[in-house]
Amino acid sequence: MERRRFLEAAGGALAASLAPRPLLAQAPPAFAQSADSQALVKRATRGKEARVGKVKLDLPLLADNGNSVPMKVAVESPMTAADHVKTIRLLSERNPEWEMAAFHLGPYSGRAEITSRVRLAGSQRVVALAEMSDGSYWMGTADVTVTLSACVDGTG
Amino acid sequence: MTTRREFLKISAAVGGGLAVGFEFSEAGAAQAAELTPWVVVRPDDTVIIRYARAEMGQGSMTSTAQLVAEELECDWSRVKVEYADTNDQVRRKRPWGDMAAVGSRTIRNSQEYLRQAGATAREMLVAAAAQQWKASPGDCRAERGVVHGPGGKKLSYGKLADAAAKMQAPKDVKLKDAKDWKIAGKPIKRVDIPATVMGRQFYGIDAQLPGMVYAAIAQCPVFGGKVKSVDESKIKGRRGIIKVVQMDDYVAVVADNWWRAKEALKALPIEWDGGKNGEVSSESIRQFLKAGLDAQQDVVTARSDGNVEQGLSGAAKVVEAEYFTPYLAHSTLEPMGCTALIKDGKVEIWTSTQNAEASHATAAAVAGVPLENVRTHRTQLGGGFGRRGGSQDFVRQGVAIAKQLPDGTPVKLLWTREEDTQHDFYRPVSLIRMKAGLDASGMPVAWYSRVSAPSIIATLLKLPLKEGVDPQAVAAYADQPYEIPNVRIEYAQRNPHVPVGFWRTVGHSQNPFMRESFVDELAHAAGKDPLEYRRAMLKEASKERAILEATVKAAGWGTALPAGVHRGVAVTEGYGSYTAAVAELSVNDKNVVTIHRLVLGIDPGYAVNPDNIEAQMQGSAVFMLTAMFWGEITLKDGRVQQSNFNDYRMMRLREMPKVEVVLAPTGGFWGGIGEPGQASIAPSICNAIFAATGKRVRSLPLKNEGFELA
Repeated sequence: MERRRFLEAAGGALAASLAPRPLLAQAPPAFAQSADSQALVKRATRGKEARVGKVKLDLPLLADNGNSVPMKVAVESPMTAADHVKTIRLLSERNPEWEMAAFHLGPYSGRAEITSRVRLAGSQRVVALAEMSDGSYWMGTADVTVTLSACVDGTG
Repeated sequence: MTTRREFLKISAAVGGGLAVGFEFSEAGAAQAAELTPWVVVRPDDTVIIRYARAEMGQGSMTSTAQLVAEELECDWSRVKVEYADTNDQVRRKRPWGDMAAVGSRTIRNSQEYLRQAGATAREMLVAAAAQQWKASPGDCRAERGVVHGPGGKKLSYGKLADAAAKMQAPKDVKLKDAKDWKIAGKPIKRVDIPATVMGRQFYGIDAQLPGMVYAAIAQCPVFGGKVKSVDESKIKGRRGIIKVVQMDDYVAVVADNWWRAKEALKALPIEWDGGKNGEVSSESIRQFLKAGLDAQQDVVTARSDGNVEQGLSGAAKVVEAEYFTPYLAHSTLEPMGCTALIKDGKVEIWTSTQNAEASHATAAAVAGVPLENVRTHRTQLGGGFGRRGGSQDFVRQGVAIAKQLPDGTPVKLLWTREEDTQHDFYRPVSLIRMKAGLDASGMPVAWYSRVSAPSIIATLLKLPLKEGVDPQAVAAYADQPYEIPNVRIEYAQRNPHVPVGFWRTVGHSQNPFMRESFVDELAHAAGKDPLEYRRAMLKEASKERAILEATVKAAGWGTALPAGVHRGVAVTEGYGSYTAAVAELSVNDKNVVTIHRLVLGIDPGYAVNPDNIEAQMQGSAVFMLTAMFWGEITLKDGRVQQSNFNDYRMMRLREMPKVEVVLAPTGGFWGGIGEPGQASIAPSICNAIFAATGKRVRSLPLKNEGFELA
């Protein structure tokens, strides 16, 4: 796994978008429409379809700050030579690095399950994307509200 | 709203060992029917409208309910407003969305879904009546809490509520045009005021639980410092002392009453390690910022139009100035505090917070329990001004102290005024250099500003900045509306050790003072009337121009004034609204300033409660006049020198000038109210002081410039 890259990604204070979020109608909006994360997924799979399912991403509904948010991702897979998870990627709608992490697995991993902490630059939808040994993609998502509150125009 | 008596009952029940099961909802009396998360109707026709954000005197609890009620077509006299419950919020996956009252955002960010909620509930009530009458919903209409059907049939909302709750919510609802409003847009009396004026209001500080103990706190006087040692033996045997809690950067004494805790803490010898920060002073911070003005490195460009160097070199005249604004404290009347109870893996807190969700998440994180096991009780705030939103330090401490006590012991942490003044997240200090080149006719052809100041977003929120620019630090420069061909705005982010935070109006609390004063300098250099000068630089169709015109008209700009009385003007935009101010004042030979009249104009797009807007504008004047005449936090040996109202002065009743509010909503957009009103005040007054005395104020507070308020 590219731990270094992961840490860089998580810690990097490069250009993040603080651009105003679109105001959605209907129920109180906290998250960008899934189109955003769908675009990220498309980019990650190079256009291949990713089906929803098999991947369970656990993130808290509310995080008191985005600097260290507990995260657990688990993928249903027998993890055999014939049928296993090759990679799990975490995609962010709002972080400076849209690909927060990539975990490489194989049959020797035993279980396709990862527990860690992630850094989130604000409220967003996070995608966990798994690439299987047969080349198929599966995904799960989680919406996190980072409860930082600021008297700021347009960063909500 | 929960009355004080109900609150005490609830509190007593909880503290008395009743299972803290969160099985009841505060709005959820057994027979009430919830039509949407925002609207609950009782059989007796009472309509409960839920409020998600905080009420700290800004009035949004009333105006948001007006928006719901408007679409609901209910009888306003039967409306009760209640806080949405934070535990329900997490269990139900956030049906109420954002709970934060910050950034003058409550109305403008939630107006659409609130109006939709009211309309949705109304449609469900109409559909239920139509079903009962076997009529078409199109033949039924809702009015003042009653659905009317064919043949004079009618049913009140209370009678329809149960059936309505079972109806499918309509997918699309049509919202009213503002011109058809009957409840919104009207100066309806605020729902929170009766309890406040009758002394029945309860604030976070009022929480009382059986068996409660009290904590007083001392935090390291040097920001970023640590506790080195504590000599507990010195307070051994003192009456009522329960525990001394020593943490990384603070010490708390827990006792059976707060006075004993506070007095014991005073007698407790604590050694602090302030580290290098112990050498910082206001003077060293000033030098640090000054270096930022001249620096070649660690400077970013926030806006660049045309070529400033060329514009300046080709100018007929160049005007240059440096402006300074100090650190400011929030000084809420109610100091920071939090009451916490941890029992059987569940946590309850009572605290005055601008963001109940943030308090909730903080309590869960500190206690190490799931969000579902926490309840944050909602209370009125004894002032917020941004102090109780972006930082939840008081909740973190309250829960951490509760964790040190036996399970089931409620503890009330209450800061002293001195702790509050000395451990704030301050309005940032700021030093700004301005340079402008004027053409032969005196109009600016080039404008340069460099802001040397801390970043709130980088240091408090720890969020990455887009291209290194904190939008708050350069607010009112980077987005300034004047038509100038060559503009460059630079930002030198300089962060002293003093924690900074969101203080009402944030960047717009200081940058418009500098911008609009400098525009006045340019007008003076050009020998032009300051109003005409602004007119020439503002597009005819701009919102800034519109509010400026409305305000100067109301103020009678250009009309004769009594001898010795002078005017100043300013215009600003921010938080989605547009404001302008005209000050009329005189200054005597002892530099005592008498403000005869302050005319404040605002265009917030739509005015949901005009009376409340007027009150917010008047309150803005109190807040800004206090800050501009006396407000400053200074540092020596890394510590804040001010401590209480004796040396951090508030404006007094007799000093309050006459404020006239010009409310001129032009429609088509939704702007904020709580903060923008402050922005134009300081420059209008300083510009009038210049007109009266010839002295240009380039640094605040005014007391340091030799001026006093009469």
